[in-house]
Amino acid sequence: MTKNYLKIAFRNLWRNKTASFINTFGLSIGLTCCLLMGIYIQHELNYDRFQKNGSRIVRVIMEYKFDGGSEFKKGNFTSVRVAPVFKQTFPEIESGVRMVNYNRVVQYQNKLIDEKAFMYADPDFFKIFSFNVTKGDPGSLLNAPHKVVLTESSAKRYFGNENPVGKSLKLTADSILYQVTGVMQDCPSNSQIKFDFLASFSSLGLAGQEKTYWDANYTTYFLLKDQGSINTLQSKITPFMKKEMAGQGASVDFFLEPFTSIHLHSEFDGFEPNNNIKYIYILEAVALLILFIACFTYINLNTARSVERAREVGVRKVIGAGKMQLFWQFMGESAILCAISTIISLIAAVLLLPAFNQLTEKQLSIQAIFSAQFIGGLILVTILVSFLAGIYPALILSNFQPVKVLKGSFKNTVSGQWVRKSLIVFQFSISVLLIVSTFIIQKQLNYIRNKNLGYNRDRVLVLPMSKKMLDNIAVIKQEFKSDRHIQNVSACVSTPVSIGGGYNMRSSVMPENQQIAVTANPIDDDFVKTTGLQLVAGTDLSEQDIKDVSNKDQNQNTYHFILNESAAKELGWTPERAIGQKMFLDASRPGYVKAVVKDFNFESLHHPIKPLVLFPEIAGRQLLIKISGDHIQQTITFLGSKWKTLVPDRPFEFHFLDEDFNKLYNSEMRLGTVLNIFSGVAIALACLGLFGLSAYAAKQRVKEIGIRKVLGAGVDNIVATLSADFVKLVFASVVVSTPLAWWLMNEWLQDFAYRITINAWVFIAAGGTVILIAVLTVSIQTIKAAMANPVKSLRSE
Amino acid sequence: MEAPMIKITDLEKFYRTEEVETIALNKLSIEVKTGEFVAIMGPSGCGKSTLLNILGMLDDPDEGSYVFNGVEVAHFTERKRADLRKHNIGFVFQSFNLIDELTVFENVELPLIYTGVPSAERVKRVEEVLDKMQIMHRRNHYPQQLSGGQQQRVAIARAVVNKPKLILADEPTGNLDSSNGNDVMELLTDLNEQGTTIIMVTHSEHDARYSHRIIRLLDGQTVVENIMI
Repeated sequence: MTKNYLKIAFRNLWRNKTASFINTFGLSIGLTCCLLMGIYIQHELNYDRFQKNGSRIVRVIMEYKFDGGSEFKKGNFTSVRVAPVFKQTFPEIESGVRMVNYNRVVQYQNKLIDEKAFMYADPDFFKIFSFNVTKGDPGSLLNAPHKVVLTESSAKRYFGNENPVGKSLKLTADSILYQVTGVMQDCPSNSQIKFDFLASFSSLGLAGQEKTYWDANYTTYFLLKDQGSINTLQSKITPFMKKEMAGQGASVDFFLEPFTSIHLHSEFDGFEPNNNIKYIYILEAVALLILFIACFTYINLNTARSVERAREVGVRKVIGAGKMQLFWQFMGESAILCAISTIISLIAAVLLLPAFNQLTEKQLSIQAIFSAQFIGGLILVTILVSFLAGIYPALILSNFQPVKVLKGSFKNTVSGQWVRKSLIVFQFSISVLLIVSTFIIQKQLNYIRNKNLGYNRDRVLVLPMSKKMLDNIAVIKQEFKSDRHIQNVSACVSTPVSIGGGYNMRSSVMPENQQIAVTANPIDDDFVKTTGLQLVAGTDLSEQDIKDVSNKDQNQNTYHFILNESAAKELGWTPERAIGQKMFLDASRPGYVKAVVKDFNFESLHHPIKPLVLFPEIAGRQLLIKISGDHIQQTITFLGSKWKTLVPDRPFEFHFLDEDFNKLYNSEMRLGTVLNIFSGVAIALACLGLFGLSAYAAKQRVKEIGIRKVLGAGVDNIVATLSADFVKLVFASVVVSTPLAWWLMNEWLQDFAYRITINAWVFIAAGGTVILIAVLTVSIQTIKAAMANPVKSLRSE
Repeated sequence: MEAPMIKITDLEKFYRTEEVETIALNKLSIEVKTGEFVAIMGPSGCGKSTLLNILGMLDDPDEGSYVFNGVEVAHFTERKRADLRKHNIGFVFQSFNLIDELTVFENVELPLIYTGVPSAERVKRVEEVLDKMQIMHRRNHYPQQLSGGQQQRVAIARAVVNKPKLILADEPTGNLDSSNGNDVMELLTDLNEQGTTIIMVTHSEHDARYSHRIIRLLDGQTVVENIMI
């Protein structure tokens, strides 16, 4: 019996090549999308799960406010004081680790490499986190200054196959030798803590700073004795901090975040950008929707084709087949088709994985696909899809009455058409939804790209600076500027793309114990010119202003501040009135307002513009070089050769400022690309189904077409008649999905402080596109049917 | 006297659409004895096919009684009808109704599969019947590769492979030329002589002459019964 089913299933698939192809192709694409998404989602959901202590680790979030200000500032930073003090005070804490990541130029023999992931951590790092140390004594890896553990990749990069333990690397920043104490496996790709080097925190020489909760530039993690104690501990921290901060003119509090929920749920990044659980849900939904579209195509084609199979069903029933036997025969066919599609999609997923990795910027491995868990899930999905796609056609087919199907012309039932129409509407609603979303996301991304941010990020090179370079900055600037294509050079701490430095400010009329939290950035006298900021009042910084803050005796320094409009407003001044006003940036920097710049977006467009102070200080960490844009290659070559002589201790590694900018919207751009692809796939699949359906509709109505032609209808009339049914359905889909798309996209846009408004044209354009594609798809079939000779079709009945 | 194989009494069948009710069978009563060869004739729309469908338990009557081998089957459930059908009745159609995706052998084997005959036995019986129908050499061909006459022979082979007591033939020669048509009628006659009861619907007076008795229908009623000599 089974053999007979299989045989007829295969032969049927083979005979009806178009339908089989459409079905297999559709299901394969649907399953491939699901597979790839599945791997990705699994990877994201498994983030940090390899940490054996994961459920007991918490990250410390700092929140602070100055007494005069109204705004709380919050972030994943703490001072070096938190870890030792908390560990001593709260018995719930088993151990703590402070970490910070820097760019460091590492030198070994003739190798000089700018390392972007040079991490510092306390010795308990390896007690708290589960990273596999392969060489070295785990107890003493980081227990003294200037010890460093390498990952296997970085060990290979510097030492090849030699054993690096015991050897030394030089950090050019302080010319200090770091002794390699161990080697560990590379950080897994699903780890929020990623680095190439891990050096002892004590190397930073910060013991003296353990008195203050300020200078919060480090990340602190605690390992709790008991994972349940997080709330108890939290409730003790707030009163404790009240005591600690009493009389200091500010309030500081700390919050504990469960380590394993950081990657998908926290608003603050780990040591790499977080993902957003919302995007995971979106991708899950999209993958499922695509699978649904494929299933519905299968259902539609098979119920439409049921006319063709009706005779077979009739014959089988007459010969003695029971309803259940036929039901299982047809279910078997859908199972076979799904199994074939699953195999194809597995192959496709393996082939597409590299491209998919590029798209997602992940290193998902093929092994993930072939894990028992995944294959088990895949088998389950295959069975579910077989049922979802197969059950309705199987029910319809096995219910046919032989009396009705064996004689006379058998037509599909009205109820069957109703189901088919609903499924088409559903498919196209999904397509329209995806296309509208894609349009809006692209529009928002375009808006971001083209928005005037208030500074100019074109043709600005960014180079990380070392302390040594600062001593020599005047010469470096002058040498660079000797090329006429180099317009300006500026040293600053943060580029205008992303300024995050937390300070507080006070005007001289405010009481001394009141402060306003403010973002600030140390700059030099070329910053405004280099970045193209617009002065609305006052004058730009001068060389003298830099000298005024470079006194040997710091108490003699006088600062000349540049405020943005928001900061001036916050302090109660108009831009014009602000000029010359006395103010303080932190208590340690007294000075006067020298200029006010137009507000510019110094954070991602997710956030509104906040108060900002730019102040002169020789503290540059980034060198910005504005070039003219003519002969870019020569200019860069010139810079490179100058760099070698001027900055021998650093490699010449630069990037452009707009790359920094683009990074701010990485996850949105990725979402945009993924949705681009998926909405393309969705509309293609929906049209594939429509193509098949219109073919069968044309076939079924061949007699009607013949009669119409005999009666004088032209090809255009007939095409219109045949297409009308489908176009109506697609139009209904547009109507159905419009409100949903509007609501969803509106929600998404809420995440941006600066956003587009959704216009009606997006829906008109998306709807128009879908209808056009649908009409074209249907026309292929209807034109063919309409052109046929009616004599033939009428005789064949 | 031997009980008839088929006894229908006052059989009625209506077809209803929203506005019109058509009477297909109007208080029809017929008896068919075991071993008989009966032809049913009449103009289009007289109810021949409806009668055949009811006799073949593909359809149920609205009113009246249908006793098959002493069992009242008029209101059997579909499942019970199907069960009775597959063990007792073979069908031959005008348009052959072979399954295109299956070979000759597989088409003939199908009824045996549905009645649960074991595989080895199936092969034996299919070969036997194909041999008898002289289409053994075509066993691995598909229906489209055969002539109409050959196709109908396969269909007859399929109808008899389960050794049914009754064969219902619906214009078995309707799609065949006269030579092939005569062959098919010879086959049916042979089967009848070996004891199978045959009821055949036909338009052809020529074919009807092969039967023992002709029942002529008009508007769902028996008009006349001719006994053939």
